[in-house]
Amino acid sequence: MLPEEITNIFGDEGADQEAARAETAAPGEIAASVRGLSKSFKGTVVLEDINFDVAMGESLVLLGASGSGKTTILRIIAGLEEPDTGRIILHGNDVTELPARERGVGVIFQAYALFPRMSVEQNIGYGLRIRKRPRKEIKRTVDELINLVRLEEHRKKYPSQLSGGQQQRVAIARTLAYKPQVLLFDEPFGALDAQTRVRLRREIRSLLKHINVPSVFITHDQEEALELGDRIAVLNVGRLEQIGTPDEVYNKPETEYVATFLGAANLLLGVVNNGGVELGTVNLPAPEETRRFREGQPVKLVFRPEDVCLNRTGALPAGCQRLTNGVIEEIHFVGAYERLTVRLDLIARQPSEGTPQLYSVTINTDEKRMGIPIIVTRPKPEANSTRLAVGDRIAVGLTAFRVLPNYALASERASRVVDLEK
Amino acid sequence: MSTAFSTLRHVRGFDVVRPLSIVTMLAIMTPLVLLPLASIFIFGTSKGLGSFWAALTAPEAIFALKLSMVTSFWATVFNVIFGLFASYVLSRYNFWGRNAIIVTISLPTAIPTAVAGFALLLLWGPYGTLGRLIEPHGIHVMFTAWAIVLANVFVTFPLAFGVIKPVFDTMSRSLEEASATIGATRWQTFWHVTLPSLRGAIVTGALLTFARAVGEFGSTILVSGNLANRTQTAPLYIFAKFNEGQVEAANAVAIVLALFSFAIFSVLFFARDWLDTE
Repeated sequence: MLPEEITNIFGDEGADQEAARAETAAPGEIAASVRGLSKSFKGTVVLEDINFDVAMGESLVLLGASGSGKTTILRIIAGLEEPDTGRIILHGNDVTELPARERGVGVIFQAYALFPRMSVEQNIGYGLRIRKRPRKEIKRTVDELINLVRLEEHRKKYPSQLSGGQQQRVAIARTLAYKPQVLLFDEPFGALDAQTRVRLRREIRSLLKHINVPSVFITHDQEEALELGDRIAVLNVGRLEQIGTPDEVYNKPETEYVATFLGAANLLLGVVNNGGVELGTVNLPAPEETRRFREGQPVKLVFRPEDVCLNRTGALPAGCQRLTNGVIEEIHFVGAYERLTVRLDLIARQPSEGTPQLYSVTINTDEKRMGIPIIVTRPKPEANSTRLAVGDRIAVGLTAFRVLPNYALASERASRVVDLEK
Repeated sequence: MSTAFSTLRHVRGFDVVRPLSIVTMLAIMTPLVLLPLASIFIFGTSKGLGSFWAALTAPEAIFALKLSMVTSFWATVFNVIFGLFASYVLSRYNFWGRNAIIVTISLPTAIPTAVAGFALLLLWGPYGTLGRLIEPHGIHVMFTAWAIVLANVFVTFPLAFGVIKPVFDTMSRSLEEASATIGATRWQTFWHVTLPSLRGAIVTGALLTFARAVGEFGSTILVSGNLANRTQTAPLYIFAKFNEGQVEAANAVAIVLALFSFAIFSVLFFARDWLDTE
């Protein structure tokens, strides 16, 4: 099946193609699947059993630090790298054995890889020229695409005469010309300054919604991932830690890595005790959250700095579950919000002789102050209406938190948390 | 590469170092390079342009110049095509012995060209390793124009290779990968993407090869047989005429060669921005 039979990029190309697509593709159909992908380079495992799907029109972000294997996944989908095991399925066809040029995949390379000796028009028309399409058709498609990416006045220019953002638009248009089955973006904003980055990713987001081509992004920037992705796949040293909507991965991280990689997170070590999490001298009731753990199992309480509520009077607002009391140790004003360090009155339970220590109380000063420091952020209005000062004693509560297993050994973290409720 | 040089100012006002260094440089260069070149022109035109023209249009001289151009042309064609191919293979594929080959290719620049000449004789000559086998079939390589082309290639290939290979090495692979994902075959990628990026290197390599081949003497004198009107190139003609005491005849051809190489190196110098990749 040719890619143009499946994807209809231009809405104005006629309803007949729309109908043809409806026959072959149900809405929400899977456009691309990665099944059981593994790869190692010279004995080093870079990918381990990676599975995910991308739906029609969806944009999926592969998020991970450098060395997480995200670029390798992209190159394998594009056909530029061969997997050791696993299959790549595009629109129902197994393309694992196909060379890159027969896959109909659009790759937007990190530095865009525009052909330096070709003008904007020639770059965009390249895919059709090498397919030996009639000149008229090439011209019409190039015109449409130049309009789409708004480069009318630059059509005769060469890549070196364009700004980074313009080059990127040429790179996208160049792949759209041959109606790719899926678009792959390799760190698309890596080469740009912070301001252009933000502007461009909004542009790309609206462009993608317009053309309805499934796309896979690669990034190490969590903000970018949250903004670009319909779903986010978090990768950590070659494993897929979690895949879900931005809301899911941010608010319901399934692993500690996801919690800390996407945004800031406070981690407290505790054990499950009687439907709650026992943290030193405190027991935080969490019957829902602790159901999947056995009694006495070591766990981690994970919560974001913005999910903490503080109050001097001890009366916490509704929806805020009381954790313990604490003392404000530091206050920093960082632009949009206020960041506080609060030392909680949680005293680590002394482990009895021979048992492993369950609470690692972070004490980073010589005086060994009691309690556990956490980071709290408060938005400006709240910071202004209820002022707090260093040394204030306050009640500390949580509006949201996650309970994750605490594996004593890294090797026990062999698989992801299995949520029994799902 | 079009850097605008600016010198660091060390003193206020008139800096005596500047004129002094320019004069010193010229004073050393004049007897070493400028005067020898100038003397060719002075001597060549001392008896008037008429005799210069007569010496130049002697049938043997014209034949020698033509033969030099033709043999150099074919050596250049071969060097560019095979230079591209060899650079591609040696820069894209890693295999056992690759580095040994890269080093060996550059060897002819360091060994005397006369050695290159008799190396070819030992291989292709009537009693040579290969020559012995093909001679009975009436195929003669040595002492023909082909021998000159072979010698030229042997001596000048490192020049073309040395210019083209580094461009292959530094070329971003993502251009070729982009082309492949867009749907191009290997050949289309090479033709539309790789080759245009090599434009400058190819032209530079070709001009260097050609300039060097036209002036080649040591290897050609051994392999060509140095037969006037048959296998005598311009440099051999100059040498022969000089030995016969016909200095004017030698000089006229020398002037042509000097002007020719001046033209080639001017192109290389003034078109360097165009020749630069990107």
